[in-house]
Amino acid sequence: MARPERSTSPSAGAAPVGSPGARSFSEALRDRDDAALVALLRARPDLASPSPSTIRSLAARATGRASVDRALAELDTFTLQVLEACAVRGADPHDRTPHTLDVSAVVGGLAPADDVPADDLARAASATAERLEALALVWDAAPPGAPADLRAAPGVLEFLGPYPAGFLAPEPATAPDGDLLAPLDDAPPGARAILDALTWGPPVGVAPRSEARAVAATGWLVTHGLLERLGGDDAGRVAVPAAVALSLRGGLTHRGVRPTPPVPDRAAHPAATVDAEAGRAAEEAVRLVTDLVRSWEQAPPVVLRTGGLGARDLRRLALRLDVDEATAAQVAELALAAELVADDGEVPASFVPTTLVDAWLADDVAGRWADLARAWLTSSRTPWVATTRDAAGTLRSALDPTHTAGWAARLRRTVLDAAASSSAPLAADDVQDVLAWATPRAVPPRDAVAGVWRGAELLGVVALGTLGGPGAALLAEADGGSGASADPVAALDAVLPPEVDDLLLQGDLTGIVPGRPTRDLARLLDDAASIESRGGALTVRFTLDSVTRALAAGSAGDADTLLAALGRHTRGPLPQPLEYLVRDAARRFGRVRVGAALSYVRVDDPALVASFLADPSLRATGLHQLGPTVLAAHVPAAELRTALASSGVSAALEDDEGRTVSTEADRPRTVPPGRRRGRSRYGPPTAAPASAPAERASRAAGLVAARAEAVVGELRSRDTLARAEAAWGRDGAVLAAPRPAAPPGPEPRGTTEPGDLLGLLHDAIAEQTLVSLETVDARGVPVTRTVRPLRLDGGRLRAVDPARDAELTVAVHRIARVVPVHRPAPTTASTEDA
Amino acid sequence: MTDGPLIVQSDKTLLLEVDHPRAAEARRAIAPFAELERAPEHVHTYRLTPLGLWNARAAGHDAEQVVSALMDYSRYPVPHPLLVDVAETMARYGRLQLVKHPTHGLVLQSLDRAVLTEVLRSKRTAGLLGERIDEDTVVVHPSERGHLKQVLVKLGWPAEDLAGYVDGEHHDITLTPDGWELRPYQEHAVESFWHGGSGVVVLPCGAGKTLVGAGAMAKSSTTTLILVTNTVSARQWKDELVRRTSLTEDEIGEYSGARKEIKPVTIATYQVLTTKRKGVYTHLELLDARDWGLVVYDEVHLLPAPIFRMTADLQARRRLGLTATLVREDGREDEVFSLIGPKRFDAPWKDIEAQGYIAPAECVEVRLTLPDGERMAYATTEPEDKYRLAASASGKNRVVEQILAKHPDDQALVIGQYIDQLHELAEHLDAPLITGETTVRERQRLFDAFRTGEIQHLVVSKVANFSIDLPEASVAIQVSGSFGSRQEEAQRLGRVMRPKHDGRTAHFYAVVARDTVDQDFAAHRQRFLAEQGYAYRIVDAEDLDDTLDAERAG
Repeated sequence: MARPERSTSPSAGAAPVGSPGARSFSEALRDRDDAALVALLRARPDLASPSPSTIRSLAARATGRASVDRALAELDTFTLQVLEACAVRGADPHDRTPHTLDVSAVVGGLAPADDVPADDLARAASATAERLEALALVWDAAPPGAPADLRAAPGVLEFLGPYPAGFLAPEPATAPDGDLLAPLDDAPPGARAILDALTWGPPVGVAPRSEARAVAATGWLVTHGLLERLGGDDAGRVAVPAAVALSLRGGLTHRGVRPTPPVPDRAAHPAATVDAEAGRAAEEAVRLVTDLVRSWEQAPPVVLRTGGLGARDLRRLALRLDVDEATAAQVAELALAAELVADDGEVPASFVPTTLVDAWLADDVAGRWADLARAWLTSSRTPWVATTRDAAGTLRSALDPTHTAGWAARLRRTVLDAAASSSAPLAADDVQDVLAWATPRAVPPRDAVAGVWRGAELLGVVALGTLGGPGAALLAEADGGSGASADPVAALDAVLPPEVDDLLLQGDLTGIVPGRPTRDLARLLDDAASIESRGGALTVRFTLDSVTRALAAGSAGDADTLLAALGRHTRGPLPQPLEYLVRDAARRFGRVRVGAALSYVRVDDPALVASFLADPSLRATGLHQLGPTVLAAHVPAAELRTALASSGVSAALEDDEGRTVSTEADRPRTVPPGRRRGRSRYGPPTAAPASAPAERASRAAGLVAARAEAVVGELRSRDTLARAEAAWGRDGAVLAAPRPAAPPGPEPRGTTEPGDLLGLLHDAIAEQTLVSLETVDARGVPVTRTVRPLRLDGGRLRAVDPARDAELTVAVHRIARVVPVHRPAPTTASTEDA
Repeated sequence: MTDGPLIVQSDKTLLLEVDHPRAAEARRAIAPFAELERAPEHVHTYRLTPLGLWNARAAGHDAEQVVSALMDYSRYPVPHPLLVDVAETMARYGRLQLVKHPTHGLVLQSLDRAVLTEVLRSKRTAGLLGERIDEDTVVVHPSERGHLKQVLVKLGWPAEDLAGYVDGEHHDITLTPDGWELRPYQEHAVESFWHGGSGVVVLPCGAGKTLVGAGAMAKSSTTTLILVTNTVSARQWKDELVRRTSLTEDEIGEYSGARKEIKPVTIATYQVLTTKRKGVYTHLELLDARDWGLVVYDEVHLLPAPIFRMTADLQARRRLGLTATLVREDGREDEVFSLIGPKRFDAPWKDIEAQGYIAPAECVEVRLTLPDGERMAYATTEPEDKYRLAASASGKNRVVEQILAKHPDDQALVIGQYIDQLHELAEHLDAPLITGETTVRERQRLFDAFRTGEIQHLVVSKVANFSIDLPEASVAIQVSGSFGSRQEEAQRLGRVMRPKHDGRTAHFYAVVARDTVDQDFAAHRQRFLAEQGYAYRIVDAEDLDDTLDAERAG
C-alpha cells in the first residue's frame, strides 16, 4: 500500500500535486489536446461508437482486446516492429515509476536490412513511432516536461506473442549493471553456441540432459546468470534472460528491418509495353465475353439445382472460346458480374443474356471493357474457387451462388493498390508477399490473392505484373476522381492500336486488316469470313461456308452487295478467286429457299392465280405467287378462306400438315437481377465500395469527423464533472461512483458502463487500490464487497478480499458496478446512496 | 510504335506487308529464324517455330538478334510473352553438346547441370547413355548418336553436335565449269552446308539442287553415297554428275532394283534400301560397303521412315539433305532436323524466280460443269468412289483439247492419277503415255523425244512426279491428282518451272469438275499455289475460249 498518492489533480486544483511519477495511460490520454483526441477517434472509429462516457472509459476501450486487435490488424510489418520495440524496451504500462525511453532509443534498436540506408530507416521509424502514439498504441508516460517515457499501451503486449521480438520478457530500457557478458570470456566450450542459438529468439530451449559437455555448459551459463531455468509447465527448459539477449544482440531489438514492402528484384517494363499488353488483354477479354453472350443466346446453358453452371456446359464454353476451363469460368463470372447474363428464373432455369446485352454489344471495345472492369472491381463474387475441388473432392461449379465473400471487392482493391505502388513488376506470389508485409496480422488467403490477380490479368487491368494505364484510370474513377485520368474508356482507347479501315485481300482467299478493324469492317468480316489469327492485325479466310453463312444471315445482302462492301474497304480490285467464290456461293446458296407464310392456296387452274393476284380485296392477305398453281399468304388459313369467300370464291380448307411457321427464333432475354424485385441469390452485384484503404479510411473518418468532435466535447465536460465529483466524494467522505450526471441521461441503477468498469478495474490493479465491487450471483442477488483487484484476464477478475483475507475470482459479466475506494473502507460501503 | 512492314501476331505468325518500302530489308532480317508459311500477293505469313528458332541458333544467330529484328520492323508493340518465349526457346539449343572426349570417345556434355539431370531422368534416354563421367559429362554409345539427338529434340533440349565426322575414303572430285558455273546462291548453299557440317539445303524445284549436291561432293572429295527417290532420278543424277564434274561413268554406280553396283560414288534408291525380305532389310550392307565421306539425300521431304532409322546409325558421316520444302505431310520435320541436320540454306521461290532462274508461272483452274447424267451418277455413287468418278469426268478430254489448242507452240504435259482416264486421254490427244508400267528404257526414250521437241504432248501418270527433268515443258495440265497434297502440287509446278530458253511464261492448268469433291480438293491446291505467290484464276469451262483469247489479245 505504499503507493504514492494518485497523481490526478482535481480540477479544482486544490489538491496537492502528487509525486512526479509516470502518468497512467488514461491520464496521458486526458492530457492530449482536443485535436489529438479527435484524430484518435478518426483513426480508430470503433472507439467513438457508441460514444464513450468519459476519458477513462475511452482509455479502457482503447486498451480492450477487441479494439487493440482491430488496430493491430491494420499495421504493417515495420510498424509492428516499432511497436514491439516500444513494448520490449518500454516500462510496464501499469508501472508508475518513471523511466526514460525516447524515439531515438527505439530507432537505435532497429538494424536496417542490407539494402536500406540507415537514415531512411531512422526517419521512417520516427514517423512510425509518432503514428503509433497518435493511434494510442504507444504513449508517453512521462509528465509534460520530463524526458520521454514511451510505452506500449496496456493490452498491446499480449498480442505480440509469448516472446515479443524474440525476448523472454520485456526489458525496459535501464542502464545495464555492468557488462552482463563479461563472464563469457571464461565460458566452457559450447556455451557460446547455446547462447547464439537462443539470442534472436525464440529464447527458450530444452536443457540438454545427456551430453556431458552441453550439460556442463548449460550449468555454467545458469550459474553465471546468462541462462535461467524455467519452472512450472516449462520445467526442463532454459531461457536467455531478456537483458542478456539484448546484450548479445548488441542492444538491438530487430535486425534486417525494412520500412517499405519487399520489392522483387526485376526490371520494370516500359509503360508503353505494359499498356500495349494491357490493351491486348482488354480487347481479348471483351471478345471472350462477347463470344460467350453470342453463344448463350443461341443455346442457353441450364442452371444446376445448386445454381451453378454444369461441368459439361463449362467445357463446351471453353471449347467455343478456345481457352482452358478455368479461364472460361472466369469469363462467365465476368458476364455474370456485369449482369450481361443471368439466371432467367424459369423452370427449368437457364443462364440467358439480359436486356442489358444489346446496349452493351452496341458499345465500342473500350466502353464494353469499362463495363466489365467496373463490375469486376466491385463484385462480391469469388470466381477463383470455381473448377477447384472442395475438401470432399467435389468439383465446385462455376457461377455457383455461394461463391461470394464480403471482402472480395476490398481484396481486389488491396491487390491493385499493391500493384500500383510497386516499382517493380509483380507476380501473384509477390503480391502475396507485399500484402503479408502490409498486414501481417490479417494476411489474405493465397488462393484468393492469386485468383484476384488472374482476374486482373484477364481483364488487362494489370499486364506484365504492372498496373496499366486503363487499370489506373479504373482505380482513379472508383476513388471518385474526375477528368481524363479517371476515365477508363478514354484510357483504354489511348492504348489500343488505332483503328484501320483497310482490308488486304489476296488470291489465297485470305484477308488481312493491318491493325484493329473499325467496327464496320469487323462486323463485315465476322459475318463473311472465319478468323484465322488475331493480334496486331486480323487475319481472316473466306471459305464457301463463311460466305454462304453471310448470305444466309442476310446481313450482308446478296453477292453483289457483299462484293461491294468488301470493295469499299479494299484498295484495288478484288482478287478474281474471291469474286468467283462469292458468286459461286451465291449461285449454290439460292438453290434451296425457305420463306414464311401462314397459309397457302392451291389451285388447278393457273388462270385463277392471276385473278387472285389481281383482286384488290385480297391484297390485305399478302397473297404472293410461289409457283404456277401455288400462292402463299400472310394471314392464317381461316382468315384467308374468309377473305376468299368474300371475293366469291369458296375454298376448301386443308388440314394443318405443311403449314409453314416462322423460323425466326426469338432471342431470349431476361431481366437483370439488379432490376428485379427481391434479392438475387448470386449476391448483390456490387458490394462494398472498392476504394483505397486510405481513401476509405478518410471517407469513414469524414462520416465520423463531426461526430468525433462532438464526442470529444462531451467527454471533456463529463470528465470534468466526474473528477469534480470524485474529489468531492473523497473530501466529503462520500464514496463516489464515476457516474456522469450530464449528457448520457439517467443511468440504470446499480450498473456501470462496461468500458468504464474495466477501466476502473485496470486502474485499481495498477494502483493496487481497493474497489467496492457489486456482483450478481447465480440467483440474481446483488452482493457488494470491497476487494483489491489483482488480475483481469480471459473475462475473469481475480481479486483479494482483505476483510476475509481470501482470493476470489469473478466473471466480469457478473460485475454490476465498481466504485473506487480511496481509503480502506471500514465496511462494505453502500453505493446505493451515492 | 514504328511504321514497320511487320505485324507480329500473338499466335507466333509474322505478317510481312510486301509493298512496304522496308519489306525487303525486313524479309532478310527475319528469314533466318522464321519459316515462310505462305506468300500471296500482299502479305506474306511467316511462322516462329521451335525448329525454326533452333535452326537460327545453329546458324549462329542469337535471341537478341531475333528480338531486335522483330522489334525493329514491327508496326505495333510486339507481344511481350512472345519475346520471352523466343528467348527461352533459343536458349534451349546447345545447352547440351555432343563432343569427342579424348579418352571416353563420344560424350554428351552439358553447360547447364539441371538440364542434364532432367534429360538423364527421362525414360526416353534410357539405354542411350552410358556412365556419367563427371557432373557435366555422360558417355554416349556411339551407335545411339542419332537416336539420342532425336530424343533430345523431342524433350525440347536439342543438342549441338560438335563431335565431328569421319573423314571417309578420299576420292578426287572437281567441278568442270566449262561454259557454266555455280550460280551465286548455289555457291552460297554449298558454303553454308560445309560450314555447318551436316544439314539441309532448301531450294525450289528447278533451282539446281543437283548442282548443289555436286558442289558439296567436290568440296568433300570423298566417296559419296547418294540416296534418291527412284531409278529415273538416279539416271539423271548420274548424267548430271558426269556432265558437271570430273567423275566418269565408271566411277559412278547405280544401286537399284535393276542393278547393284558399288562404286566410289553410288546412287541408290530409297526403294531398294527399304526393301524387306522376311522382315529384314536386305540391302543395309550398302551403308557400310565403303567408308563414305558424304551421304546426300535427295528430296528429303519424301524420305521414308525406315531411312530415318538407318540414318540414325550414320551420324558420324557428313549428311546433306536437298529439298524444295521442309514441310512434310507426315509432320516429321523434327526428325529431319535431328538426324540430317538443321536447315543450312533457304531461298524463297519468288526470290529465285525474280532473279530469272526459274520461269514465272500462271495457274488457271478450269471448272467444268458435269452433264446431268454424270451429276446424277455422281450423286448416287458411294463416297469412296466419288473422287474417282468426278476426277475422270469425260468432259475433261474436251477441255484439255481446248487448252492445248490455245498453246499450239508449247511443249505440254498432261498429268493424271487414273490410268484408265490417261489411256483415254492419250488416245484422244494422240499422245504417248508414260505410266508405272512403262519400262525405264521406254521412259528414257520418250523423255528424250519430248526434250528434243520430237513429241509435243506427253501424258504421264504420277510416276512423273519426282525428279524427272523436262526442260521444255511450258504447259502442264492436271486432270486428276491425289487428294490435294501440297507436296504433289509443288512437284507438278516444278515440272513446268524450269527456265525457258525464250523466257516464256509457264502455264499450269487444273481441270476440275464443278460441285464435286474434285472441286474441294482443288481448293487445297488453289490455296497452296496462291500461298506460293502464283497468280491464280478460276475460269468456267464454258468461258474458256473467250477468257484465253482475251488474255492473248491483252
